[in-house]
Amino acid sequence: MSGPDPKTSLALVVEVEQALPMPLSGSLRCEAGELLALVGPSGAGKTSLLRMLAGLMRPQQGRVAVGGEVWCDTAQGLFLPPQRRHVGLVFQNYALMPHLSAVDNVALSLLHLPRRERLEQARQWLDHVHLSADQQARRPAALSGGQQQRVAVARALAREPKLLLLDEPFSAVDQMNRQGLYRLLADLRRELAIPIVLVTHDLNEARMLADRLAVMDVGRVLQEGTPAHIHSAPRNARVADLVGIQNRFQGVWLGPADSPGQGRLRWTGDTAGDPAAPLLTVRDKGKLPPGQAVNWVIPNDGIVLVDAGARGPGDFDAEVAEARHLGEITLVTLNVPAVPGARLVLTLAGAQRQALAPGARLSARLDPARVHVMPLRARPGAGPGVA
Amino acid sequence: MDWQALILSLELAAATLAVLLPSGLWLGRWLARTRFAGKAWIEAMVVLPLVLPPTVLGYYLLVSMGGASPLGAWVKQAFGVSLTFNFLGLLVASVIFNVPFLVQPVQRAFEAIPANLGEAAAVSGLSAWQAFWRIELPLAWPGVLSACVLTFVHTLGEFGVVLMVGGSIPGETKTVAIAIYDRVQSFDLAGANQMALLLLLFSLGAVTASFFASARLVVRR
Repeated sequence: MSGPDPKTSLALVVEVEQALPMPLSGSLRCEAGELLALVGPSGAGKTSLLRMLAGLMRPQQGRVAVGGEVWCDTAQGLFLPPQRRHVGLVFQNYALMPHLSAVDNVALSLLHLPRRERLEQARQWLDHVHLSADQQARRPAALSGGQQQRVAVARALAREPKLLLLDEPFSAVDQMNRQGLYRLLADLRRELAIPIVLVTHDLNEARMLADRLAVMDVGRVLQEGTPAHIHSAPRNARVADLVGIQNRFQGVWLGPADSPGQGRLRWTGDTAGDPAAPLLTVRDKGKLPPGQAVNWVIPNDGIVLVDAGARGPGDFDAEVAEARHLGEITLVTLNVPAVPGARLVLTLAGAQRQALAPGARLSARLDPARVHVMPLRARPGAGPGVA
Repeated sequence: MDWQALILSLELAAATLAVLLPSGLWLGRWLARTRFAGKAWIEAMVVLPLVLPPTVLGYYLLVSMGGASPLGAWVKQAFGVSLTFNFLGLLVASVIFNVPFLVQPVQRAFEAIPANLGEAAAVSGLSAWQAFWRIELPLAWPGVLSACVLTFVHTLGEFGVVLMVGGSIPGETKTVAIAIYDRVQSFDLAGANQMALLLLLFSLGAVTASFFASARLVVRR
């Protein structure tokens, strides 16, 4: 934290461990200029964690440090109230003061300045988020959702924060305005050299905006990493489900294959004694004992569909069960006859999808490098105990 | 027209409001923002003067503040004043009697402020005191205003408690409501009518004006 790299020294470092009033545990790090998205279902503790960072909630045990300043350290009895943390928070419903104009709302963050200077700076911040002079004089009720959000962002920035927190900032804005706000956020990220934490339940939004994701469930941080990493190597079945990986199967790890660094995976665990159950040869990290029951996943782009005639060794026969054409993309569900009950779900774009109709026969080629295997230690889908 | 009684009533109403407004603001805001096990008891105590017959309340005030009571005796000894049958006693009774009229609307007004506005103020760097003056009070103001008008008008019209605690001493405790009663008792219906009509019109005017003002304040946001 006191390292020589100025970027690192501005990072946010959080650790928390509490049982009451709601469970919350995990540790996170967000570098300056980086956007960390907290994702997870409602009730996962995302907003609680954000409130803790803002100083609106005191954790039972925890430590929050930003830019080398310690804001909270329960071990030392240290807890700075929100007024003494330089933190910008954009609330889910913006929490703008209804009796104040947009410019007066922003000026609230600048009360340490004399009145004239305060209003001048507030106007500059509102100009910065592209609000016209006429809009700046209006009360929140006379502004659209997107404009209100810009005011809320300006109010947070006027605080000259060392940490910017965004709680579901796009949930109350319609799709068209969202695009403009995404751009605004992208611009801000480039200008601000501070950590930004975004809470969202929208995975696409998180993937699009965030450098790193923290997947939360029932108050716990289950996994933290880049979106690509979490997608290709979820820590457990719950994370895979939470980040929307559809192709998840239960199988059995059979141990090393003939070639070094490769291992054999039986597709399904149900056909334990069936010698005809298909086998996959995938990467072996040497961590799993033979016979271990596993969850395995393969991302959408690890599956290639080829014509039935072009079937190669290791490919699987597949039959289209359902094809839903949604504008520019098509959602395809495939049955794999060799594995009863197994279904592959794919999102396709491009010309290939036009030929897909229920009943069509194809071959599915699974990229062994993209198969990710996780040991199964609890019942499938059972929350955080799986890791 | 008993101008002396009318002026006394206006003085009493103004003094009641002056005492009750700061403490009522504090109590109403506290009740709006705090949750604890015994809260219902305190809220019940606040409402009690509203549901008790004024004579019952007046009786207990008379007994507890009279010269023979420990409280009355102590006040007499410490400050050399009596709390019954004078303006001071009337003021104490009036303040207690008006608690629900001020505290309840104030509490509702503060309850109506979304909790996240206070949090937004704190995150923006506002101290509790700044948040109160700049955010909470302006937002609660329509409710506070109507509570003030209600308290003022209600004091003007109070009869039972005033009679029990204050008697009917002209210039000291004889308020306009008691003066009306006296006129009727002495069959001076014309005199009673004058004062009753004045009180009616004033009360109606004040309450209507406060409703208009509140509505305008609410629309403006």
